[in-house]
Amino acid sequence: MNSLPLTKSRVALQNCDPKPCVDRSLTTNVTDYSSSSLEDLIAAISEKRDKRAFVELFKQTSPRLKAFAMQCGANVSDAEEIVQECMLNVWRKAHTFKPKSGTAITWLYTIIRNRRIDFARKNRHETVSSDDMWLEESGDELESQVHHDLSGEKARSLLDALPNEQKQVVYKVYFEGKPHSEISKDLELPLGTIKSRLRLAMNKLEILAKEQMSWLIIILLMNF
Amino acid sequence: MANYHPTDELLMAFSAGQLPNALGLMLACHIEHCPDCQRKMHQFNELGGNILDSLEPLALDEGAIGKLLERLDEPEPVVEKVEMLPGIPRPLQRFMPAHYDNLAWQGMSSSLKEFTLDIDDDRYTTKLFRIAAGKQLPEHTHKGNEFTLVMKGSFSDKTCNYHAGDFVLADTSTRHQPQAANDSDCICLAVMDAPLKLTGTFGRMLNPFMR
Repeated sequence: MNSLPLTKSRVALQNCDPKPCVDRSLTTNVTDYSSSSLEDLIAAISEKRDKRAFVELFKQTSPRLKAFAMQCGANVSDAEEIVQECMLNVWRKAHTFKPKSGTAITWLYTIIRNRRIDFARKNRHETVSSDDMWLEESGDELESQVHHDLSGEKARSLLDALPNEQKQVVYKVYFEGKPHSEISKDLELPLGTIKSRLRLAMNKLEILAKEQMSWLIIILLMNF
Repeated sequence: MANYHPTDELLMAFSAGQLPNALGLMLACHIEHCPDCQRKMHQFNELGGNILDSLEPLALDEGAIGKLLERLDEPEPVVEKVEMLPGIPRPLQRFMPAHYDNLAWQGMSSSLKEFTLDIDDDRYTTKLFRIAAGKQLPEHTHKGNEFTLVMKGSFSDKTCNYHAGDFVLADTSTRHQPQAANDSDCICLAVMDAPLKLTGTFGRMLNPFMR
């Protein structure tokens, strides 16, 4: 006879147990991701396998990923498929993103680049894949961390450091992969001009890299 | 550590994913062991990230996110594991049927042997060359570009010494007689868009067989 109330109370306990849980989860476990950074969203996907974070990341990035695929020459339906593959990879490989070795957008760039390449290769039945060329992105952690700290703002982006005429040539390289001679025809500029603009862009990037290195040295010295 | 590197223009095109397969794999082999080029690659990737960031967003098909969410729980495709050949750069692993010593080397002379790698590429042929220790090749020039990566051993021509990891570009203006160092055979990966054209008298005789 005694066991019945006990069981009942257990059942009662079990029944009311989930409720505070749900309440608690509403306030603490369920995060509002709408203003999260890309880095935080990827961390939530990796650590919590949180599909809501994934949906938010999709919202924030997939329109640019689609634009990237189309700039590279994909038609609308291929671009949609490349974005699907890219986001599927983001879900599966979120744990390979290391905030210390670069920004989230750089990581996403390497993924969309590889998916775009593999999509084209698959259609040509080629055996070479992006996995052969690129290991999961890893870099010199300390160096990029410094750069990251100094250039968290968009204004410090490498691209913004280039004048428009150099930017235009750089875009051509990234999206079209044409030889310099063809870029020169497209832009109706002499080959020498294309080469020198690209060279100037390289020099500028190299200067920025050296700047990063000197900051790194200063920071290292300050730590001693 | 390598002393001779791919140009920044090549590195940028590699980061952009715009190099033909053969050349891309060759750059990947060099970068694997070159901290300088790894750093540059990092920077070009960052530039790629900036470019992605700068694009005008394009709305996706309405059903895209639903379709994607349905696929999230699909099992991941199984990646076939390749048994790693020791001493071979990772990017070449899947394309090397055996270790250098066990390849079916072919060649007309005892000083130079070659092995063609099966790498899909519209423009370039990929070969391994093996120059016997201490041997010098007949003087030759090139009909087009030839990219060479020293894989093992070293060779020298009139002006330079090239060691494992060095990336060398020869073109129509290059006329040289590479010689392998005395202590070991020199193995090079070569990506070329035209067959070798030999220039010396001896070279002209050999030429038809050396393609």
